[in-house]
Amino acid sequence: MARILLVEDNEMNRDMLSRRLQRKGYEITMAVDGREGVDKARTGGFDLILMDMSLPEIDGWEATRQLRAVPETEHTPIIALTAHAMAGDREKALEAGCDDYDTKPIELPRLLEKIETLLRRDA
Amino acid sequence: MPHRSRTGPRTTSARSAAAHRQAALLRLSTAIAAAQDEEAIYRSVVNGLHDEALGYNFLGVFLLDSETGDRVLQASVGWPDVPTEWRVHRGEGLSEQAVQDGKLHYTPDVTRESKYLPSLASGSELDVPLRVNGRTIGVLVVESAEPNAFGDEDFEILQAATNQAGIAIARARLLEAERRRADEHKALLDTMADLSSELELSRVLQAVIERAVTLLGVTGGEVAIYEEETRELVVVASERIGKDSTGTRLKMGEGAMGTVARTLEPLIIPSYHEWLGQSAKYADVLVHSVMAAPLLIGRRLVGAIATVHSDPARVFNQEDLRLLNLFAPQAAVAIENARLYTAAQRQRQYFRELVRNSPVAIVTLNQVYRVVECNPAFESLFGYPQAEAVGRNLDELIATDATREEAEQYTREALDRPVHGIGRRKRKDGTMVDVEILGVPVIVDDERVGLMGLYHDISELLQARRDAEAANSAKSQFLASMSHELRTPLNAIIGYSEMLQEEVEELRQPQLQDDLTKINTAGRHLLELINDILDLSKIEAGKMQLHLETFPIEPMLEDVITTVRPLVMKNANHLEVRRADRLGTLRADLTKVRQMLLNLLSNACKFTDHGTITLSADRDDQHVVFTVRDSGIGMTAEQMERLFEAFAQADAATTSKYGGTGLGLVITKRFAHLMGGDVQVMSTPGKGSTFTIELPARGPDGDREPATD
Repeated sequence: MARILLVEDNEMNRDMLSRRLQRKGYEITMAVDGREGVDKARTGGFDLILMDMSLPEIDGWEATRQLRAVPETEHTPIIALTAHAMAGDREKALEAGCDDYDTKPIELPRLLEKIETLLRRDA
Repeated sequence: MPHRSRTGPRTTSARSAAAHRQAALLRLSTAIAAAQDEEAIYRSVVNGLHDEALGYNFLGVFLLDSETGDRVLQASVGWPDVPTEWRVHRGEGLSEQAVQDGKLHYTPDVTRESKYLPSLASGSELDVPLRVNGRTIGVLVVESAEPNAFGDEDFEILQAATNQAGIAIARARLLEAERRRADEHKALLDTMADLSSELELSRVLQAVIERAVTLLGVTGGEVAIYEEETRELVVVASERIGKDSTGTRLKMGEGAMGTVARTLEPLIIPSYHEWLGQSAKYADVLVHSVMAAPLLIGRRLVGAIATVHSDPARVFNQEDLRLLNLFAPQAAVAIENARLYTAAQRQRQYFRELVRNSPVAIVTLNQVYRVVECNPAFESLFGYPQAEAVGRNLDELIATDATREEAEQYTREALDRPVHGIGRRKRKDGTMVDVEILGVPVIVDDERVGLMGLYHDISELLQARRDAEAANSAKSQFLASMSHELRTPLNAIIGYSEMLQEEVEELRQPQLQDDLTKINTAGRHLLELINDILDLSKIEAGKMQLHLETFPIEPMLEDVITTVRPLVMKNANHLEVRRADRLGTLRADLTKVRQMLLNLLSNACKFTDHGTITLSADRDDQHVVFTVRDSGIGMTAEQMERLFEAFAQADAATTSKYGGTGLGLVITKRFAHLMGGDVQVMSTPGKGSTFTIELPARGPDGDREPATD
């Protein structure tokens, strides 16, 4: 069972996404801001990270850069979750080291496909 | 000399008499030589011969009238009853013979001659022809009351006197001709000087006609100018032709002036009342003969002149024509000059008025930037009356320390070429005013004489713009934050409804499925609407940023096709894709191009049922063109007109029937504009619509650098 870290500050989004993913069979750990996200990621040994970009403390881009800079998470797949297709968000996310991105509101089938693709790549 | 011996004192010695005669002949000679004109010569001949020492008491000089052959008396002595300019008709009188053969004739006894026209009851007559350059021009008639009064000495004296008179007359005529030519030249010179010094058209025309009348010695005349627009002559000055003809209009070929205006040749009409070409407009004019000439500059007609004789005795001759031909070109040039001057004056007046009444402040400066003139708008804008501004350096007057450098820069540059800008200037009372500035060099005859500054008060305009911008920015800000605030709860609605849909499927409770779908669909529609509004407000606020990249077109199309496929299926439509072989790359905002295509395609799907939707992609060197064609309901011309206006979906019923925000096309079009392209539509109601997106293949103007990402 793949283990996913969901970094998301909005409570409802966090609740929804985690429950829907759990129903699909993933084991979900949650973090509520960038700092917690980085901390949990370095120690948790996750298979994949879903990272909201606009986060308190440190934002998603900075968190991603930090994770890429340390060996523990250097290669962990990260999917950026951005708000409504803001121009440049996608590029900024890829630049920071994300492997893919998806826009909110989440289209679950689309996100699942991206998750599965990355998990397969790493398997 | 029998009669002399009779009249002279008998005691006078022959010697003394001879001396007196010599003295008298010398006086006669001197008088003839001193005479200034013909008339004086005739007078001196008769007066000199009528001398006590010579004793001729009855004598006269006749001149031959070359036309009639009459002899006309010029001067006489001792014929008290004879009128001046007495005419002796051809064939009459004793002196006829001398005129005919050019020889001296002596009639010792006049009573024996039938031809004698008595002035004395009896006596003798001597007729001496007056010859000039071998031609007889008249006769000197000397009479005595007594028969046989004249002898050889008389013949000699009188012959010598007429000879001398003949020489003097020849010289006088030469002088007269010279003087006449000199007078003519002077008259012409006067005319030229007068005419060229006068620039007011009406005065020039009056001077022209007065000169012509004087120069030609005619009764009167008139001048007309040629009006190119109507191709008519308009009489503008008239002098003694029997009526005031000013204002009369003549067509080409009408009347004397109309005729010369058409032929461009002068014309003499010896007998006007018999002339067939006369204009009815001159029926009431009593003129005898007319001479007219066109007024030309080169071969260009500027007007016509006509001169008239009302005296039947006067006829125009070649000499008059020659004078008119000398005169007409001067008159033409004078009229043309005056006309040009008047036109220039008018133009000047027009521009003066324009400047004076202009709401824009206008000031002219000389080469060292000092004020030469300013208009009332300048006075009121800056508070300086013209008198106070003239001579001052403009920038010292209306620039502050802060704007001085910029103002001087404008002034310097405007001396060479037009400059345009916006700035702040100072009024006399120290307050500031926002102005749009235009500086232009003033060039006269290729020479730079200064510059002109135009100041347009834009304080209100700028304030209005600032207000509008602030309001617009506030609106955009509000919309942006509202959209964001709305989206968060909306995401929850959409997300949870979706989650519930998944759950009821797992829990097998299909009765809830429908309601949950409705919640989800409504939520998504609302989200779409909010997103569109946000896009539009960003575009309107100028805050929509383009993220330009150069991307291959093919994969982007594939992506779009995959996304739109479920929508195509929904109304049982068929999607046809036609693309050019090598589509290559496009430099644009990938996300927005995708959004534009999805907008058009989803519209096509929405308004088409069981039909075909065609997506085509093509390119040339410069442009990439996407076409979305459907076989749907189409639109009327009226609907198409409002298509790209915000919130203008064909009608409200359409929205409720087909859904959508009605903003998609507006956004698509604005996106295209942002990227330097455009969106066009063609449609037939009931047949379908075709939308075309055209984008510059290498990105909008000003962005031509190759992609870096």
